[in-house]
Amino acid sequence: MTAIESTFKKRAQAAVANKTLKAAIERTASTAEKKRAIAIAELPDFSNMRSCAKRIKDHVIANLDHYLETFERNAVASGAKVHWARTAEEASHIAVDICKMAKAKRVTRSKSMLGEEIGLPHALELAGIECVETDLAEHIVQLAGERPSHIVWPAMHKSREEIFSLFKSKHEKPPVSEEIADLVLSARRDLRQKFLTADVGISGANFLIADTGAVCVVTNEGNAELTTTPPKVHIVTAGIEKLVPSIEHAFVLLRLLVRSATGADITQYTTFHCGPKRPNDADGPEEFHIILVDNGRTQMLADGMEEMLRCIRCGACMNHCVVYRQVGGHAYGGTYPGPMGAVLTPVFDGLKQSRDLPHACTLNGRCAEVCPVGIPLPTLLRQLRSRSWRSGYEPWLTKANVSVWAQFAKRPKLYHAVSKIASKVIRLFQKNGRIRWMPLAGNWTRHRDLPAPASRSFMQLQRSRHKENGS
Amino acid sequence: MSLARKQIMGNISVALAHREKADEHSIDQEAVKLLTSFEPELPGLSIADVVEAFYTRTSGPKVGASITRISSMEELIDTVAGVLSEKGLVNKIALQPDRALVDLDWGQSGFQLGKEVDDGVVVGIARWGIAETGSLVFHSASDMPVLFNFLPSFHIVAVRASTIVPYLESYANAANIAGDPTPRNVCLVTGASGTTDIEGVLVTGAHGPRELHIILIDDTNQIVGTYDEN
Repeated sequence: MTAIESTFKKRAQAAVANKTLKAAIERTASTAEKKRAIAIAELPDFSNMRSCAKRIKDHVIANLDHYLETFERNAVASGAKVHWARTAEEASHIAVDICKMAKAKRVTRSKSMLGEEIGLPHALELAGIECVETDLAEHIVQLAGERPSHIVWPAMHKSREEIFSLFKSKHEKPPVSEEIADLVLSARRDLRQKFLTADVGISGANFLIADTGAVCVVTNEGNAELTTTPPKVHIVTAGIEKLVPSIEHAFVLLRLLVRSATGADITQYTTFHCGPKRPNDADGPEEFHIILVDNGRTQMLADGMEEMLRCIRCGACMNHCVVYRQVGGHAYGGTYPGPMGAVLTPVFDGLKQSRDLPHACTLNGRCAEVCPVGIPLPTLLRQLRSRSWRSGYEPWLTKANVSVWAQFAKRPKLYHAVSKIASKVIRLFQKNGRIRWMPLAGNWTRHRDLPAPASRSFMQLQRSRHKENGS
Repeated sequence: MSLARKQIMGNISVALAHREKADEHSIDQEAVKLLTSFEPELPGLSIADVVEAFYTRTSGPKVGASITRISSMEELIDTVAGVLSEKGLVNKIALQPDRALVDLDWGQSGFQLGKEVDDGVVVGIARWGIAETGSLVFHSASDMPVLFNFLPSFHIVAVRASTIVPYLESYANAANIAGDPTPRNVCLVTGASGTTDIEGVLVTGAHGPRELHIILIDDTNQIVGTYDEN
């Protein structure tokens, strides 16, 4: 346990010390933050739209069994094959089996966080099947042998210079310059042939439409349709919480999803796939498989964390998170970074292994403020903290500190007396109201000054105010 | 029924055991009510006239397409020729196999019709247009190959003013009223393919078309299935 905790701390420390990483995160996240603010301000009534979206998700989750059955029935009627997977391993196994049945040598994949969650790229690699990531950022991350660092911009941690040298060594016809347009063109050239020669295309789902059995996928690049149309087989991997009753309900959520993610009003391509190619269709896959994945979702429903099942994966919470913007996505160590990741990773990997994530939060509440489906992320994080405490996962030092503190907190007179002394002692180290160094505070003062405590505490001020008013 | 399905459904019914299980009909009714009684205020269209709003939207910075308005289908060939010559492109195109396009006499105007869609010029026709977002809607069929929207370098799309609807939801409603069969694939195309994956800078032509040109056919004075919100 201590090893993992120090690993998280080490990852975070390394990230904080990395200046180029910080600049890269800041560039994309601050742009996203500004664009989102403009897009939300343009809406006539964001709060009403959000409450409508929240009600839709809550309605689906309260009737999840009904919607799963309805979706399955309609998807099967459209000619799709529906598979069910309890765990990440089971889901990957089903997908790999379908690829093997299709005798696939090459598989294209359009970005899906669920695919990452269930470890699908790795499972395909183990099965000896070439898996080509087609989203530009995922392509970059794949070539670099890294993991995504953001759910909307998986390669936000990489600079154009790094991408240029990466493409130069990996692309058959490398880019001619570091110009971003050249880099995009190089990837387009490299991937076009792969799109057209893949045996299986794998996508995720932004929404599963219950009343038609259709699967909605949104992209700006158009890589999802190029992934799923030419091959003979299309596999969809989707979490069971992705359901919506109808296309109209999907539109309500789509408006919020895109604005919250990128600040645009809609993605360039919003596609609804319903079953395999029909007899008269000009193109499309002959087989259409949908893998419905639980992987901890029904557990969240049972554990009182059903609000997290509203999440539509827009990434606004991480763009607005002060911690994410300092440490970036990789420090979180899971598939999903930021506040939503700090809630989800303990579900997937176990709270014991990832107890430090719910602690990597200042509880400033910005994530909940911007969440388009009103998930109370700070409340869920606090819930995980207290669960971790109750389960005895907290390190002994934390436990000891809290017990000592509790002894004082339960005795107000003692507490005030001790804090009065402590504040006087701390003030000995101040100069012009700032503390540059102090024993036991080295971790803080190494990076920044500590503001000195005021000469009189809040309680003292209150007391003297009462006296003044009373006399 | 697979064991996995049985267990997942079992877990759900245990987790939701506290609720009063509603019958299918009342769940459906509640779902409809979510859209009507709490209807969120929709984003404003810049102009009351939906066709004008669509025009303003698609030619504006958010969609970033170029657009030409013509008054009838007969003008389409000359317009396409004009658009191509302005770009310095030769009159070599692939046509979406829709009758409305195929039946026109392209050969007489010196067009070379090819089958090469990959990185070429495709001329297509959208089934619907949506003013709110400036989207073109395509329904896959024998005369609408999905890849025609994604493989070309330059995508030229005709859309009839009579098929333009105000909002995303109006499209679903209109397609329903018009009796469009649920197609295998519905694609809403809004502008050219783009990416901001490298340093957040927008570049078009990521995987799909680099440019989108829309030709808006003002047919609303003709009686061709005019869309009425009511």
